[in-house]
Amino acid sequence: MKSRQLVFALVFLVLGFLLTFSYQQTKSTAEIVQVNNEEWERDFYYRKQLIDMEEKNKQLRSELSQIRQEVQSTEQDIGEEADVLKDLVVTKSNLQKLTGELSISGDGIMVTLKDASFIPAEDHANQYIVHDRHIHQTVNELFSAGAKAIAINGQRIYRNSYISCIGPVISIDGTSYPAPFVISAIGDQEVLDVSLNLKNGVIDQLVQDNIEVTIEKNSNVEMYAKDM
Amino acid sequence: MWLPALFLIIGLLLGFMTNMSIPAEDTNYLSIAVLAALDTLFGGVRAQLESKFDQKVFVSGFFFNVLLAGFLAFIGVQLGIDLYLAAIFAFGVRLFQNLSIIRRLIFRKYYMRKQAKKDDKS
Repeated sequence: MKSRQLVFALVFLVLGFLLTFSYQQTKSTAEIVQVNNEEWERDFYYRKQLIDMEEKNKQLRSELSQIRQEVQSTEQDIGEEADVLKDLVVTKSNLQKLTGELSISGDGIMVTLKDASFIPAEDHANQYIVHDRHIHQTVNELFSAGAKAIAINGQRIYRNSYISCIGPVISIDGTSYPAPFVISAIGDQEVLDVSLNLKNGVIDQLVQDNIEVTIEKNSNVEMYAKDM
Repeated sequence: MWLPALFLIIGLLLGFMTNMSIPAEDTNYLSIAVLAALDTLFGGVRAQLESKFDQKVFVSGFFFNVLLAGFLAFIGVQLGIDLYLAAIFAFGVRLFQNLSIIRRLIFRKYYMRKQAKKDDKS
Protein backbone atom coordinates (compact mmCIF):
# COMPACT_ATOMS: atom_id res chain seq x y z
CA MET A 1 0.00 0.00 0.00
CA LYS A 2 2.80 2.35 0.87
CA SER A 3 4.71 1.77 -2.37
CA ARG A 4 1.53 2.28 -4.31
CA GLN A 5 1.06 5.65 -2.69
CA LEU A 6 4.67 6.45 -3.52
CA VAL A 7 4.11 5.65 -7.16
CA PHE A 8 1.04 7.84 -7.19
CA ALA A 9 2.96 10.54 -5.46
CA LEU A 10 5.66 10.32 -8.09
CA VAL A 11 3.13 10.70 -10.88
CA PHE A 12 1.54 13.59 -9.06
CA LEU A 13 4.94 15.18 -8.70
CA VAL A 14 5.57 14.90 -12.41
CA LEU A 15 2.07 16.12 -13.20
CA GLY A 16 2.37 19.11 -10.94
CA PHE A 17 5.73 19.97 -12.32
CA LEU A 18 4.50 19.73 -15.88
CA LEU A 19 1.36 21.74 -15.17
CA THR A 20 3.10 24.65 -13.58
CA PHE A 21 5.94 24.49 -16.01
CA SER A 22 3.65 24.66 -19.02
CA TYR A 23 1.64 27.35 -17.27
CA GLN A 24 4.74 29.46 -16.90
CA GLN A 25 5.71 28.62 -20.44
CA THR A 26 2.43 29.86 -21.87
CA LYS A 27 2.60 32.93 -19.66
CA SER A 28 6.05 33.84 -20.96
CA THR A 29 5.04 33.28 -24.58
CA ALA A 30 1.54 34.60 -24.19
CA GLU A 31 1.86 37.17 -26.93
CA ILE A 32 2.67 34.50 -29.47
CA VAL A 33 0.39 31.75 -28.28
CA GLN A 34 -2.67 33.73 -27.38
CA VAL A 35 -3.35 35.17 -30.78
CA ASN A 36 -6.76 33.71 -31.26
CA ASN A 37 -8.74 33.63 -34.44
CA GLU A 38 -10.60 36.82 -33.87
CA GLU A 39 -7.49 38.76 -33.11
CA TRP A 40 -5.85 37.24 -36.09
CA GLU A 41 -8.69 38.30 -38.28
CA ARG A 42 -8.55 41.81 -36.86
CA ASP A 43 -4.82 41.86 -37.41
CA PHE A 44 -5.36 40.73 -40.95
CA TYR A 45 -8.02 43.40 -41.44
CA TYR A 46 -5.75 46.15 -40.16
CA ARG A 47 -2.87 44.86 -42.20
CA LYS A 48 -5.03 44.91 -45.28
CA GLN A 49 -6.11 48.42 -44.45
CA LEU A 50 -2.49 49.40 -44.03
CA ILE A 51 -1.58 47.90 -47.37
CA ASP A 52 -4.50 49.65 -49.00
CA MET A 53 -3.46 52.88 -47.38
CA GLU A 54 0.09 52.48 -48.53
CA GLU A 55 -1.03 51.70 -52.02
CA LYS A 56 -3.21 54.77 -52.01
CA ASN A 57 -0.31 56.73 -50.61
CA LYS A 58 1.92 55.55 -53.37
CA GLN A 59 -0.65 56.42 -55.98
CA LEU A 60 -1.17 59.84 -54.50
CA ARG A 61 2.54 60.38 -54.33
CA SER A 62 2.97 59.56 -58.00
CA GLU A 63 0.04 61.82 -58.76
CA LEU A 64 1.68 64.55 -56.73
CA SER A 65 4.94 64.24 -58.58
CA GLN A 66 3.08 64.29 -61.85
CA ILE A 67 1.24 67.42 -60.83
CA ARG A 68 4.48 68.97 -59.70
CA GLN A 69 5.96 68.28 -63.09
CA GLU A 70 2.95 69.84 -64.73
CA VAL A 71 3.25 72.88 -62.48
CA GLN A 72 6.90 73.20 -63.34
CA SER A 73 6.28 72.98 -67.06
CA THR A 74 3.44 75.48 -66.72
CA GLU A 75 5.70 77.82 -64.82
CA GLN A 76 8.32 77.45 -67.50
CA ASP A 77 5.71 78.20 -70.12
CA ILE A 78 4.61 81.25 -68.19
CA GLY A 79 8.20 82.39 -67.87
CA GLU A 80 8.75 81.96 -71.57
CA GLU A 81 5.52 83.76 -72.26
CA ALA A 82 6.67 86.60 -70.04
CA ASP A 83 9.94 86.73 -71.94
CA VAL A 84 8.10 86.74 -75.23
CA LEU A 85 5.77 89.39 -73.88
CA LYS A 86 8.70 91.50 -72.75
CA ASP A 87 10.29 91.12 -76.16
CA LEU A 88 7.02 92.06 -77.73
CA VAL A 89 6.69 95.09 -75.49
CA VAL A 90 10.22 96.20 -76.36
CA THR A 91 9.60 95.62 -80.04
CA LYS A 92 6.32 97.46 -79.85
CA SER A 93 7.84 100.45 -78.14
CA ASN A 94 10.67 100.45 -80.67
CA LEU A 95 8.20 100.34 -83.51
CA GLN A 96 6.14 103.04 -81.88
CA LYS A 97 9.24 105.18 -81.63
CA LEU A 98 9.94 104.51 -85.30
CA THR A 99 6.40 105.38 -86.38
CA GLY A 100 6.29 108.38 -84.12
CA GLU A 101 3.75 107.32 -81.59
CA LEU A 102 6.36 107.73 -78.88
CA SER A 103 8.95 110.41 -78.38
CA ILE A 104 12.45 109.44 -79.40
CA SER A 105 15.85 110.85 -78.56
CA GLY A 106 19.43 109.93 -79.29
CA ASP A 107 22.55 110.63 -81.29
CA GLY A 108 21.95 112.33 -84.56
CA ILE A 109 22.92 115.05 -86.95
CA MET A 110 21.34 118.30 -87.91
CA VAL A 111 21.48 119.53 -91.45
CA THR A 112 20.67 123.17 -91.98
CA LEU A 113 19.62 124.28 -95.43
CA LYS A 114 19.71 128.01 -95.97
CA ASP A 115 18.87 130.12 -98.96
CA ALA A 116 21.88 131.64 -100.56
CA SER A 117 22.60 134.95 -98.90
CA PHE A 118 24.02 136.47 -102.07
CA ILE A 119 21.97 136.46 -105.22
CA PRO A 120 23.67 137.90 -108.34
CA ALA A 121 21.42 140.39 -110.07
CA GLU A 122 21.45 138.64 -113.41
CA ASP A 123 20.17 135.37 -112.08
CA HIS A 124 16.68 134.48 -111.05
CA ALA A 125 16.17 134.21 -107.31
CA ASN A 126 14.49 130.85 -107.83
CA GLN A 127 17.85 129.29 -108.39
CA TYR A 128 19.13 130.41 -105.01
CA ILE A 129 16.46 129.27 -102.62
CA VAL A 130 15.73 125.97 -101.02
CA HIS A 131 13.04 124.01 -102.82
CA ASP A 132 10.95 121.13 -101.60
CA ARG A 133 12.91 118.77 -103.82
CA HIS A 134 16.06 119.64 -101.94
CA ILE A 135 14.45 118.71 -98.76
CA HIS A 136 13.08 115.56 -100.37
CA GLN A 137 16.54 114.62 -101.50
CA THR A 138 18.01 115.18 -98.09
CA VAL A 139 15.26 113.37 -96.27
CA ASN A 140 15.40 110.45 -98.65
CA GLU A 141 19.14 110.25 -98.37
CA LEU A 142 18.92 110.30 -94.59
CA PHE A 143 16.24 107.62 -94.54
CA SER A 144 18.16 105.41 -96.90
CA ALA A 145 21.25 105.88 -94.75
CA GLY A 146 19.35 104.37 -91.88
CA ALA A 147 18.00 107.33 -89.97
CA LYS A 148 15.58 106.24 -87.32
CA ALA A 149 13.59 109.44 -87.25
CA ILE A 150 13.67 112.74 -89.06
CA ALA A 151 12.20 116.10 -88.22
CA ILE A 152 12.16 119.31 -90.11
CA ASN A 153 12.24 122.43 -87.98
CA GLY A 154 11.12 120.23 -85.14
CA GLN A 155 8.22 118.71 -87.09
CA ARG A 156 8.46 114.97 -87.20
CA ILE A 157 8.28 113.29 -90.58
CA TYR A 158 5.98 110.30 -90.64
CA ARG A 159 5.34 107.55 -93.14
CA ASN A 160 2.50 109.52 -94.65
CA SER A 161 4.00 112.99 -94.33
CA TYR A 162 4.22 115.23 -97.30
CA ILE A 163 6.51 118.07 -98.06
CA SER A 164 5.38 120.58 -100.65
CA CYS A 165 6.41 123.92 -101.89
CA ILE A 166 4.09 126.82 -101.31
CA GLY A 167 5.83 129.80 -102.86
CA PRO A 168 8.65 130.90 -100.58
CA VAL A 169 7.69 128.53 -97.77
CA ILE A 170 7.47 124.81 -97.46
CA SER A 171 4.49 123.03 -96.11
CA ILE A 172 5.01 119.92 -94.05
CA ASP A 173 1.79 118.11 -93.31
CA GLY A 174 -0.01 121.36 -93.71
CA THR A 175 2.26 123.46 -91.52
CA SER A 176 4.31 126.06 -93.31
CA TYR A 177 7.92 126.71 -92.51
CA PRO A 178 10.18 129.34 -93.92
CA ALA A 179 13.87 128.95 -94.59
CA PRO A 180 16.23 128.08 -93.03
CA PHE A 181 15.27 124.50 -92.66
CA VAL A 182 16.84 122.42 -89.95
CA ILE A 183 16.57 118.73 -90.79
CA SER A 184 17.41 116.71 -87.73
CA ALA A 185 17.88 112.98 -88.01
CA ILE A 186 18.43 110.37 -85.34
CA GLY A 187 20.70 107.51 -86.31
CA ASP A 188 24.31 106.51 -86.63
CA GLN A 189 26.10 109.90 -86.88
CA GLU A 190 29.06 108.58 -88.88
CA VAL A 191 26.95 106.74 -91.40
CA LEU A 192 24.57 109.67 -91.89
CA ASP A 193 27.40 112.14 -92.22
CA VAL A 194 29.33 110.03 -94.68
CA SER A 195 26.31 109.24 -96.83
CA LEU A 196 25.38 112.91 -97.01
CA ASN A 197 28.94 113.86 -97.98
CA LEU A 198 29.36 111.30 -100.73
CA LYS A 199 30.99 112.57 -103.89
CA ASN A 200 28.23 113.78 -106.18
CA GLY A 201 25.96 113.10 -103.29
CA VAL A 202 23.24 115.14 -101.75
CA ILE A 203 25.45 117.85 -100.27
CA ASP A 204 27.35 118.31 -103.53
CA GLN A 205 24.11 118.71 -105.44
CA LEU A 206 22.73 121.12 -102.86
CA VAL A 207 25.88 123.18 -103.01
CA GLN A 208 25.68 123.21 -106.81
CA ASP A 209 22.14 124.55 -106.40
CA ASN A 210 23.63 127.43 -104.38
CA ILE A 211 22.29 126.38 -101.04
CA GLU A 212 24.23 126.94 -97.90
CA VAL A 213 24.47 123.65 -96.11
CA THR A 214 25.82 123.09 -92.62
CA ILE A 215 26.03 119.75 -90.92
CA GLU A 216 26.48 119.46 -87.24
CA LYS A 217 26.50 116.44 -85.00
CA ASN A 218 24.28 116.49 -81.99
CA SER A 219 24.51 113.87 -79.33
CA ASN A 220 21.01 114.46 -78.03
CA VAL A 221 18.42 114.98 -80.67
CA GLU A 222 14.93 114.87 -79.29
CA MET A 223 11.69 114.40 -81.14
CA TYR A 224 8.25 114.37 -79.64
CA ALA A 225 5.46 111.99 -80.23
CA LYS A 226 2.79 112.62 -82.77
CA ASP A 227 -0.24 114.41 -81.42
CA MET A 228 -2.98 111.89 -81.65
CA MET B 1 -3.51 9.91 1.05
CA TRP B 2 -1.54 12.94 2.05
CA LEU B 3 1.68 11.78 0.39
CA PRO B 4 0.46 12.25 -3.24
CA ALA B 5 -0.99 15.64 -2.32
CA LEU B 6 2.30 16.69 -0.77
CA PHE B 7 4.19 15.54 -3.82
CA LEU B 8 1.73 17.37 -6.06
CA ILE B 9 2.45 20.55 -4.16
CA ILE B 10 6.18 19.91 -4.36
CA GLY B 11 5.87 19.34 -8.10
CA LEU B 12 3.91 22.57 -8.52
CA LEU B 13 6.54 24.47 -6.56
CA LEU B 14 9.31 22.91 -8.61
CA GLY B 15 7.54 23.92 -11.78
CA PHE B 16 7.21 27.47 -10.51
CA MET B 17 10.81 27.65 -9.43
CA THR B 18 12.40 26.39 -12.65
CA ASN B 19 13.12 29.44 -14.69
CA MET B 20 13.85 27.51 -17.86
CA SER B 21 12.11 28.33 -21.11
CA ILE B 22 11.45 26.04 -24.04
CA PRO B 23 11.44 27.22 -27.66
CA ALA B 24 7.94 27.92 -28.94
CA GLU B 25 7.96 25.03 -31.39
CA ASP B 26 8.58 22.52 -28.56
CA THR B 27 5.50 23.46 -26.53
CA ASN B 28 3.67 20.64 -28.30
CA TYR B 29 5.80 18.14 -26.40
CA LEU B 30 4.91 19.81 -23.14
CA SER B 31 1.18 19.60 -23.78
CA ILE B 32 1.53 15.96 -24.72
CA ALA B 33 3.49 15.25 -21.57
CA VAL B 34 0.80 16.90 -19.45
CA LEU B 35 -1.88 14.87 -21.18
CA ALA B 36 0.10 11.66 -20.77
CA ALA B 37 0.55 12.32 -17.07
CA LEU B 38 -3.16 13.02 -16.64
CA ASP B 39 -4.05 9.93 -18.64
CA THR B 40 -1.77 7.75 -16.57
CA LEU B 41 -3.20 9.21 -13.41
CA PHE B 42 -6.79 8.56 -14.37
CA GLY B 43 -5.87 5.11 -15.64
CA GLY B 44 -4.26 4.40 -12.28
CA VAL B 45 -7.28 5.62 -10.38
CA ARG B 46 -9.56 3.50 -12.50
CA ALA B 47 -7.36 0.46 -12.02
CA GLN B 48 -7.35 1.13 -8.31
CA LEU B 49 -11.13 1.26 -8.22
CA GLU B 50 -11.36 -1.90 -10.29
CA SER B 51 -8.89 -3.46 -7.89
CA LYS B 52 -6.49 -4.56 -10.60
CA PHE B 53 -3.80 -1.97 -10.07
CA ASP B 54 -0.30 -3.03 -11.04
CA GLN B 55 2.62 -0.80 -10.27
CA LYS B 56 4.73 -2.06 -13.18
CA VAL B 57 1.94 -1.51 -15.70
CA PHE B 58 1.24 1.89 -14.17
CA VAL B 59 4.81 3.21 -14.24
CA SER B 60 5.76 1.64 -17.58
CA GLY B 61 2.49 2.84 -19.10
CA PHE B 62 3.28 6.35 -17.99
CA PHE B 63 6.75 6.37 -19.49
CA PHE B 64 5.83 4.49 -22.66
CA ASN B 65 2.87 6.73 -23.32
CA VAL B 66 5.01 9.80 -22.90
CA LEU B 67 7.70 8.36 -25.14
CA LEU B 68 5.30 7.33 -27.89
CA ALA B 69 3.55 10.68 -27.80
CA GLY B 70 6.88 12.49 -27.95
CA PHE B 71 8.01 10.29 -30.81
CA LEU B 72 4.81 11.00 -32.73
CA ALA B 73 5.20 14.70 -32.18
CA PHE B 74 8.82 14.53 -33.27
CA ILE B 75 7.93 12.65 -36.46
CA GLY B 76 5.14 15.10 -37.08
CA VAL B 77 7.53 18.04 -36.81
CA GLN B 78 9.98 16.35 -39.17
CA LEU B 79 7.29 15.58 -41.75
CA GLY B 80 5.44 18.84 -41.34
CA ILE B 81 2.24 17.05 -40.27
CA ASP B 82 0.56 17.69 -36.93
CA LEU B 83 0.90 14.06 -35.83
CA TYR B 84 0.96 15.01 -32.16
CA LEU B 85 -2.75 15.67 -32.58
CA ALA B 86 -3.18 11.90 -32.83
CA ALA B 87 -1.60 11.48 -29.42
CA ILE B 88 -3.67 14.29 -27.97
CA PHE B 89 -6.80 12.78 -29.45
CA ALA B 90 -6.04 9.31 -28.09
CA PHE B 91 -5.17 10.66 -24.66
CA GLY B 92 -8.23 12.86 -24.58
CA VAL B 93 -10.61 10.07 -25.55
CA ARG B 94 -9.06 7.75 -23.01
CA LEU B 95 -9.17 10.46 -20.39
CA PHE B 96 -12.90 10.92 -20.77
CA GLN B 97 -13.48 7.19 -20.98
CA ASN B 98 -11.54 6.60 -17.79
CA LEU B 99 -13.35 9.44 -16.11
CA SER B 100 -16.77 8.02 -17.01
CA ILE B 101 -15.75 4.58 -15.83
CA ILE B 102 -14.45 6.03 -12.58
CA ARG B 103 -17.69 7.90 -12.13
CA ARG B 104 -19.72 4.75 -12.68
CA LEU B 105 -17.55 2.75 -10.34
CA ILE B 106 -17.89 5.34 -7.61
CA PHE B 107 -21.67 5.43 -8.03
CA ARG B 108 -21.84 1.66 -7.92
CA LYS B 109 -19.77 1.57 -4.76
CA TYR B 110 -21.99 4.25 -3.19
CA TYR B 111 -25.16 2.31 -4.03
CA MET B 112 -23.65 -0.91 -2.78
CA ARG B 113 -22.77 0.76 0.50
CA LYS B 114 -26.28 2.18 0.78
CA GLN B 115 -27.75 -1.22 -0.01
CA ALA B 116 -25.54 -2.79 2.64
CA LYS B 117 -26.72 -0.21 5.18
CA LYS B 118 -30.34 -0.90 4.28
CA ASP B 119 -29.72 -4.59 4.58
CA ASP B 120 -28.16 -4.01 7.97
CA LYS B 121 -31.14 -2.02 9.14
CA SER B 122 -33.73 -4.43 7.88
